[in-house]
Amino acid sequence: MPYKIAVASSDGENIDMNFGAAHEFFIYEVGEEGKYALLEIREKQKEAGGPSFCQDGCKGRGCEGSHENQPRVDFIADCRCVICKKIGFHIQKQLEKKAVSAFDVEGKIEDAMEKITWYFHRMDHHQSLRGMANETLIGKEGRE
Amino acid sequence: MAKILDKQRYKCAMSAMQTVQAIERAIPVLHSGPGCAQKLSNSSGSSGYFSPNIYPCTSINERDVVFGGVKKLESTIKHSLDVIDADLYVVLTGCIPEIVGDNTEEVVEGFQDAKKPVIYASTAGFKGNNYKGHEQVVDAIIDQLLERSDIRVKNLVNIWADVPYQDEFWLGNLRELEKLVKELGLTPNTIFGYQRGLSNIKRIPQAEFNLLVSPWVGLNNMKNMEKKLGIPYLHYPTLPIGAFETSKFLREVGRFARVPEEKIESLIAEKEAYYYYYIERYADLFLETRVMSKQFTVVADAQYALGITKFLVNDLGLFPAKQFVTDDTPREFREKVCSYFKELNFGIEAEVSFETDGYKIHNEIKAHDYHGYPLILGGHWEKEIAKQTDAHFLNVSWPVNERLVMNSYYAGYDGGLKLIEDIYSVARTRFN
Repeated sequence: MPYKIAVASSDGENIDMNFGAAHEFFIYEVGEEGKYALLEIREKQKEAGGPSFCQDGCKGRGCEGSHENQPRVDFIADCRCVICKKIGFHIQKQLEKKAVSAFDVEGKIEDAMEKITWYFHRMDHHQSLRGMANETLIGKEGRE
Repeated sequence: MAKILDKQRYKCAMSAMQTVQAIERAIPVLHSGPGCAQKLSNSSGSSGYFSPNIYPCTSINERDVVFGGVKKLESTIKHSLDVIDADLYVVLTGCIPEIVGDNTEEVVEGFQDAKKPVIYASTAGFKGNNYKGHEQVVDAIIDQLLERSDIRVKNLVNIWADVPYQDEFWLGNLRELEKLVKELGLTPNTIFGYQRGLSNIKRIPQAEFNLLVSPWVGLNNMKNMEKKLGIPYLHYPTLPIGAFETSKFLREVGRFARVPEEKIESLIAEKEAYYYYYIERYADLFLETRVMSKQFTVVADAQYALGITKFLVNDLGLFPAKQFVTDDTPREFREKVCSYFKELNFGIEAEVSFETDGYKIHNEIKAHDYHGYPLILGGHWEKEIAKQTDAHFLNVSWPVNERLVMNSYYAGYDGGLKLIEDIYSVARTRFN
């Protein structure tokens, strides 16, 4: 089943934007054999209203009504994961509630996409992740 | 069909953090997911300067799994060296970094020139239990910290006994073994416990021989040290509890270390006179307590199962029912351990089972006829079966929940007296 990956980037080549600072996300769609292609470039609208606060002042630390973060989370809630340079702890938790993983890495989009699509491919097909980090795995192209 | 392990008797290999904790001023640096040290948070006697709740950990998450956790590991080790004042840093790898293949060795080798020693051990939880983890940490110390030495200090003996913190009486037992060896005229050297830290580790290669007091834990370490450091070892499989076994222990160690025969025999005579003075004075208690058991079962790791069985049969005259060794002994040692249980006085042979499933153990205990009140020495899990069978119950092996053990010990002559005290205290409280 195809899924989407959101990347916070300024130029479509490098991952160089923080999650909060990014004004656009490059949305890639990943198909059957882990092949991916750019689907759209989603521009973030200005948030409606200023920062809102709860009556009991928990500041988004786990209560359901973290109003100030909700629009940013909903914006990419249809994606399986988001890749950016840096992401805050609280918003990461909010994303986890919507089952969106967050990968905060730097580097070329291509390298990160390779690794992540391979990882999701192995997970979806219930195959072992053995040897993934030091690249002793069975060739990355061999997506059996 | 999936096997369910009932009533846990040990922890995963990464609990070798306790072995590191037992070395004074050594701290484990964990490379694993978050929360691995939490399983040790309620172990007895482990708070203080370094407690499991504050071990530095890389707390790897999904990103580190996909992109590799070595960068995070490197920064964690670097910051531990800066922030924590310890003498030895032991990097332990958990399940996830081992599966994805993080190259811990390379990272740790990068810290060879750090101001404090950094070593690593691969203690992934799926590799075994914490008996195996303990051996791995000791191996890591031997392989990465020690070098063969040309100096041999006369009469210096390294003593290796059971796993710290897993064995509730580890510290007391170790000190008592040290004391016995010292009275033979030798100089003991141990690395666990109070004031026995890195400086004692550095003295290991200078010893004349290694003394291993344990049925199988640590045997591989001994062979490793024999090969690498050229130190011979004496393997004494039974933890000496009580007069019979301790005298045998002193004779064997003394003979191996070439202590003069008269010295050994006079020491034994003096100790036995003191021990039997107590036995004689309490003889009426032993002979006339009719509620005392005739048969006993020990549910513990190999060390206590063997040591207590020998003590109860040879010294107290009880008869062994089936004994259970619950430390998941590796197959290559099982036959040997079985044979140790056959060497009892009066031609008695104890039957032993290497079962780890608590449900099966309890069923076997329930099914056996103990000809009176059973005597059960085991972990806290055995309390319920003791209630069901109306047995005398003494909590000696892990988990030890309802006793506080600080420096008590069961090893040696005094340890034997203490075990008698504990067993009869249980018998007496119940029928007053």
